[in-house]
Amino acid sequence: MNKTLTTIILVAVASLAPLAASAQTPVWNDIKGEEKIALETKGDVGRGAVGFEACQGCHRKDASGRVSGAYPRLSGQHATVVIKQIADIRAGRRINPKMEPYSDDHALTPYQIADIAAYLQSLPISADNGKGPGTAGAAGKQLYDKDCATCHGDAGEGNAAKFYPMVAAQHYHYLLRELFYIRDARRANANPMMVKVIKSYGDADLEALADYMAQLPPPRK
Amino acid sequence: MAAALMLGAVAVPAQAEDAKTLASTVCIACHGEDGNSVVPMFPKIAGLQEEYIVKQLKDFMSGKRKSDVMGPVVANLKAEDVAPLAAHYSSLKMKVGEAADKKAVEAGKLMYQDGNETSGVPACLGCHQPMGAGKDIYPRIAGQQSEYVLQQLKNFAAGDRSNDPNRWMRSTAKRMTEAEMRAVAEYLAGLDAK
Repeated sequence: MNKTLTTIILVAVASLAPLAASAQTPVWNDIKGEEKIALETKGDVGRGAVGFEACQGCHRKDASGRVSGAYPRLSGQHATVVIKQIADIRAGRRINPKMEPYSDDHALTPYQIADIAAYLQSLPISADNGKGPGTAGAAGKQLYDKDCATCHGDAGEGNAAKFYPMVAAQHYHYLLRELFYIRDARRANANPMMVKVIKSYGDADLEALADYMAQLPPPRK
Repeated sequence: MAAALMLGAVAVPAQAEDAKTLASTVCIACHGEDGNSVVPMFPKIAGLQEEYIVKQLKDFMSGKRKSDVMGPVVANLKAEDVAPLAAHYSSLKMKVGEAADKKAVEAGKLMYQDGNETSGVPACLGCHQPMGAGKDIYPRIAGQQSEYVLQQLKNFAAGDRSNDPNRWMRSTAKRMTEAEMRAVAEYLAGLDAK
């Protein structure tokens, strides 16, 4: 009820804003509704730690995820990135049936999302992530420096202000799966700029990229 | 005035006394003398989280949790009995049992610690703690009667039990096969959460 009302108000406010921004390219991150609420909430790390308990069954107690890549590492990830991704999953912009019942609006409020995101960002990053074969790192670095570093950072640290995720020290198999999804238009909330960049990439290129990113050490914060 | 004050002063101990009487005359029939039921279909309630026992009793009383067995029992329970009963049973020690099906224990342990990545079952330890001791709203499940655990998982999966916070257990149990439920129930029966 409350949420619906908030949405109505936000939509009403948004409609008064100049339309210039939305006229250019398809909007990848149209910040409104609960994503806006969560972003504007100062997340509480202590409350986030309690909220995250329900996520530990998959993402592990230290939020290191699974080496298999089934669940990504979330420790140290930018709070903005976590908020955007959960908001996208809740809105159906990113399809994630495994996570959906544990993150949708009967499980979490936007305020709790902000808390959990703040908590995750505060966690130390383990270097024990799942690595790739380690043989394609050099080729991967070449591609990364040319096409990825501008957004995801030279060290894979991402960009909190722009909602670009940290990719360094992420599990190889998770990186690989998402790269395939993004290239093959199977990740609905992929950034169109990124899709354009990697559209021409072959499978071996994606493997090399994932191999390289998984080897990048946890960025200094 | 003085009489009223005196009544107020003795009210709490009187309730605690009532709770002990209830425990030793009513609850004992199914849950055993010290809260360690020996009947496989009835849960052990000794050493469960106080907050969890309060919630379950309240849910039985309001009908949020349905049970043909507990329903008629809580019909005679007074609201003020809930807290002292919960405190009483929470203070007792759960006695750990033994798995009936030893072969299922290893698979159950794997399920408990890792879940099922393919079907998206979270590992139980995420909420119920590495040794099943539970925490706050998450009940202790280590040492519990396996038949009871299995039945509750089935009830959650079917939606017959729906008093879990945020649908967590319904979402989880729905993804489990019966073999996985059995295995994890067997593992828990012999798990000692020290």
